[in-house]
Amino acid sequence: MAVVEVSHATSEHIHPPPETFVQKYVFSFDHKVIAVQYFITTGLFFVLAGLLAELMRAQLAGPNNHVLSVTMYNQAYSVHGSAMVWLVIIPVLTGAFGNLIMPLQIGARDVAFPWLNMFSFWLFPPAGILLFGSFLLGAPEAGWTEYPPISLQEPAGTSMWCAAIFLVGVSSTITGLNFLVTIIKMRAPGMTWTRMPLFVWATAVTAFLSFIATANLSAALLALFIERTFNVPYYDPSRGGSPVVWQHVFWFYSHPAVYIMVLPAFGIISEIIPTFARRPIFGYKAIAYSSTAIGLMSFMVWAHHMFTSGLAQWVQLPFMILTMAIAVPTGVKIFSWVATLWAGKIRLASPLLFVLGFLSTFTFGGITGIFLASVPADIHEHATYFVVAHLHYVLFGGSIFGIFAGLYYWWPKMTGRMLDERLAKLHFWTMFVSFNATFLPMHWIGLFGMPRRVATYDPVYGGTNLFISISAFVLGASMLIFAYNALRSAKHGELAGPNPWGARTLEWMIPSPPPYYNFDRIPIVLAAPYDYGQPLPYRDVAPEYLAAVPRF
Amino acid sequence: MGIISALGMWGVVVFPIENYLKEAAQQAADIDWLFRFMAFFSVPILVYVNGFIIYFVIRYRTRPSDSIQATGSPIHDHSALETWWTIIPAALMLALGLLSYKVLPEYYGAQAAAVTMEAIGHKWDFEFRYPGLAQSVYNDLYLPIDVPVTMDITSSEAQADDAVIHSFWVPEFRIKQDMVPGMVVPIHFTPNRLGTYRIICTEFCGIGHSRMWGSVHVVSQADFNTWFATQQKQSANGGPKVNVASGDAGAGQALFQQKCSVCHNAAPFDQRKVGPGLADLFDDPQHPALVDGKKADPADVAEILEKGYTGSMGSMPNMQANGISSTDIANLVAYLKTLHK
Repeated sequence: MAVVEVSHATSEHIHPPPETFVQKYVFSFDHKVIAVQYFITTGLFFVLAGLLAELMRAQLAGPNNHVLSVTMYNQAYSVHGSAMVWLVIIPVLTGAFGNLIMPLQIGARDVAFPWLNMFSFWLFPPAGILLFGSFLLGAPEAGWTEYPPISLQEPAGTSMWCAAIFLVGVSSTITGLNFLVTIIKMRAPGMTWTRMPLFVWATAVTAFLSFIATANLSAALLALFIERTFNVPYYDPSRGGSPVVWQHVFWFYSHPAVYIMVLPAFGIISEIIPTFARRPIFGYKAIAYSSTAIGLMSFMVWAHHMFTSGLAQWVQLPFMILTMAIAVPTGVKIFSWVATLWAGKIRLASPLLFVLGFLSTFTFGGITGIFLASVPADIHEHATYFVVAHLHYVLFGGSIFGIFAGLYYWWPKMTGRMLDERLAKLHFWTMFVSFNATFLPMHWIGLFGMPRRVATYDPVYGGTNLFISISAFVLGASMLIFAYNALRSAKHGELAGPNPWGARTLEWMIPSPPPYYNFDRIPIVLAAPYDYGQPLPYRDVAPEYLAAVPRF
Repeated sequence: MGIISALGMWGVVVFPIENYLKEAAQQAADIDWLFRFMAFFSVPILVYVNGFIIYFVIRYRTRPSDSIQATGSPIHDHSALETWWTIIPAALMLALGLLSYKVLPEYYGAQAAAVTMEAIGHKWDFEFRYPGLAQSVYNDLYLPIDVPVTMDITSSEAQADDAVIHSFWVPEFRIKQDMVPGMVVPIHFTPNRLGTYRIICTEFCGIGHSRMWGSVHVVSQADFNTWFATQQKQSANGGPKVNVASGDAGAGQALFQQKCSVCHNAAPFDQRKVGPGLADLFDDPQHPALVDGKKADPADVAEILEKGYTGSMGSMPNMQANGISSTDIANLVAYLKTLHK
């Protein structure tokens, strides 16, 4: 393909860097600063929502426990789920990783709309305050799904929940639009679609999903808020509303949201594996196009969350078939990643360890997803601990393992300092073992009769639940290792240099941390980034970055 | 890896599901078969994905003798391999889809049902209505063995704050159906094993959700007829009489802790939970006259406990729904009297 020749004159429009503290660190327009702001706020919410999970496990450690009151328990799991989905996983993958990495990988100096980017971040802290503040007025109790009519009968905290999630939704929609425009319009010269790094592909599909799907959730939330506040009966069946309408609209957003929560993690995986296997990603096009296929199909499967809601049989069938069909592109990805390890020169550094953990747990979560797709089996499994286990294998085993893989991989780029490898490996093994010990037994008790969202249970599940609770405490404690490692690196971390892992995408062709406005000159891209062993396919990159040899 | 897969698949085939969860309805065996089918093919996928990860990481690790510049194979793709790993999963999914489709109609397809009955979800009780029985049965469902049942599933709508979604789950039957207010969904099943099994609510329905349990008793046709006749007799007599004077306050207190305290505090009227606080029930003018327009007396309270209540203060289930006997009512009244100023 011919290199697109461009003059640099038009793209040298650079604003002077901000000088005041507020411009620099608070209302910053710089995508890298905004990314760090997202990392810090989502990290804080992760700790709070994680503590709620530990409280729940304390209550469930034995049958008939009284660690929490029943109401407190119901509030704890509802806020835990809502916060993890909307205040942690979605914003950390899009707002934090997307902001930090995507503009660097496409050779841009910032996102298309920096002011919107700043605005979109600043919707988050109020959303977090509203959600966690809802405990003061009686937090929501009906889970992160808040099905009416029960959510219509709850105290005022549920209205705060509506407002919080609405704000997050607006933020997510804006960020989606912003990233889409950035990826379409601001790629470096020569970066065709098939030369884009796979994380950018994943971010593009995610941005599309956020932009299109989130508005549905906003509409559903607005209706719930109006019904709660002004008594307009959208959902209340005793006054002519339909509770099933909420379920449809909610899942029409929340199923694509599952992919909003996991596609960027797929992107992270696709970046890390070739770097540490020292060879090209296997099946670049298959991975890129399967992301797109998954993204489009995610709009056509929402009712598989509702197989016991009383859908007609002819409605269930297409949803079952389409859900099973999604397993095919997902399988293609997993097999391609494993095949990338084949005949590599593998360096088992911490980012790759987390990726391998991801592959193992996510494959398991994907397979239990098929068990849930089959309607007759789902009828038995639905709304039990089997679903709780499946969900955590996908969102923890998938998204959170992917997030930690990305953190260990890009930490040197973001901060300029390395994390300690031995602590990283200790973190991985404690997290991997305790994760499986926590969530694997849940499949078992779910299948044999334990429903979800209960504060107490039949004593026959007592032993298993005690084991799960102990494992969950270890899982929580494993996060402290990361926290210590992160804090320690600020002072004792080795200086990273521009490209410690010897990777080939554009974010590694500039200093760490990246300078204000990222690139002195916008590089020109000559080929796809993953051809390890070949010279780097960039022009206008300073020669000292053109080695791409790992230090480890 | 082949051997581990084969062992795992053999394990799936011989795993005695019955020892852990009985198959007590006709379609349970089909659903377990479907489950086995999925688990059977999942085993090799899991073994090979994890096995190859471990094998590749060991086999292709960077060795100290490798130069820092060393890179792996430059191969980008392999179309035959990629075609196979697309086609095989797609074929498996297609097979699973067809098999699921084959099992599915047993839930929904019309059957010649011998019993057509209703199940209604309440906060937090399962109400069952039989044809030919004037009164409802609460939480203890009796079904004759080997008789096809069609159950119309719905939720109570009598009172706005009682109308929530519940779910009717009998794990041993492998059936589950959400009880949605405003919707009636018929499900079909045939119990085929004697015994008592759990009914569990699986849709969050409020503070009592964690303990919204019932039992289904699958009995012989003769036992069913006896039970049914007793129920008919009871409803003809209007149930056994309550003797409010003979209650035991200690037993009443224990029962109050166990059942009533989910919704009521033993505290002044304004300390509401779901219902009002019940201390000073017989004195406090804040307690409204709910039965005969006069201040509450033991007979009024016993009547509410017996028949339930629906009105300005919300709704309370009747004695069958609460699972209490007439002796229990007497004991509760005796206990409530001790909360007197």
